[in-house]
Amino acid sequence: MRAASPDAMAPSRPGSTRTAPPELPDRFWTQPRMRTYLLFDATGIVYLLVGLVALRVAWALAAGPEAWQRLMQSFANPLYVAFHLLALVGSIFVGVRFFRLFPKAQPAHIGPAKPPPRPVLHAMLYAAWCGVTLALLVVLGGLWP
Amino acid sequence: MKALLLRLEPVIWLLFGAGIMVGTLLLPGYLLTVALGAPLGLLPARALSFERAHEIFSNPLGRLVLLGIIALPLWKGAHHTRALCVDLLGHRSDALIGSLLYAVALAGSIAGILAVLSIG
Repeated sequence: MRAASPDAMAPSRPGSTRTAPPELPDRFWTQPRMRTYLLFDATGIVYLLVGLVALRVAWALAAGPEAWQRLMQSFANPLYVAFHLLALVGSIFVGVRFFRLFPKAQPAHIGPAKPPPRPVLHAMLYAAWCGVTLALLVVLGGLWP
Repeated sequence: MKALLLRLEPVIWLLFGAGIMVGTLLLPGYLLTVALGAPLGLLPARALSFERAHEIFSNPLGRLVLLGIIALPLWKGAHHTRALCVDLLGHRSDALIGSLLYAVALAGSIAGILAVLSIG
């Protein structure tokens, strides 16, 4: 496999006019669309931390009942509660934005197969999201089995 | 380093894509129960007692879901944090920052695999 060159899409000959290299406008982060975009990327920091904190869950389960009890106590700490609430808001924000963008990013067809119409695909993603969340709430919330 | 990151791009992109899709599907349910509901006493006491939580997450499907909750957000997080750094700091430090972030995601994923396998 050959690595793609960052210049792969550059024209073979320089154009007849000289173009200034792309530059971010001053105070670009004050523009609403840019702010939302940066906020979407910034959820990455929260996801990274959620993944690392979730490691503690597996370690506590492996270590035994006392470790599990200590984990639950530390998760009740206001700092953890605030972080997990932020993560909840962040993951909902990512879902709403990503599931809206996902249908637009699909190829027109893969071989003979065509993706479903965009609103249908959008609805399918929401159905999967609600289904998985509901299943986790039922199982981890103690309702079943 | 930049060339290596470009070479690994398909694998990184696959893990990032899985992270944003599957990670986002799993996170609200996990956060509402394990991270918030049980510690704050909003769930019945037996729902996530050690015995029940252990039973759920030592099941093969439970282990896989827990690994998904650990590893997939790490890759989504590493890739998006890298993109944020490129936007705010420019390309000059991208190879270093990108490598460090992916190293954290890789180390966390390996630790996650070992951790879910060690649940007795």
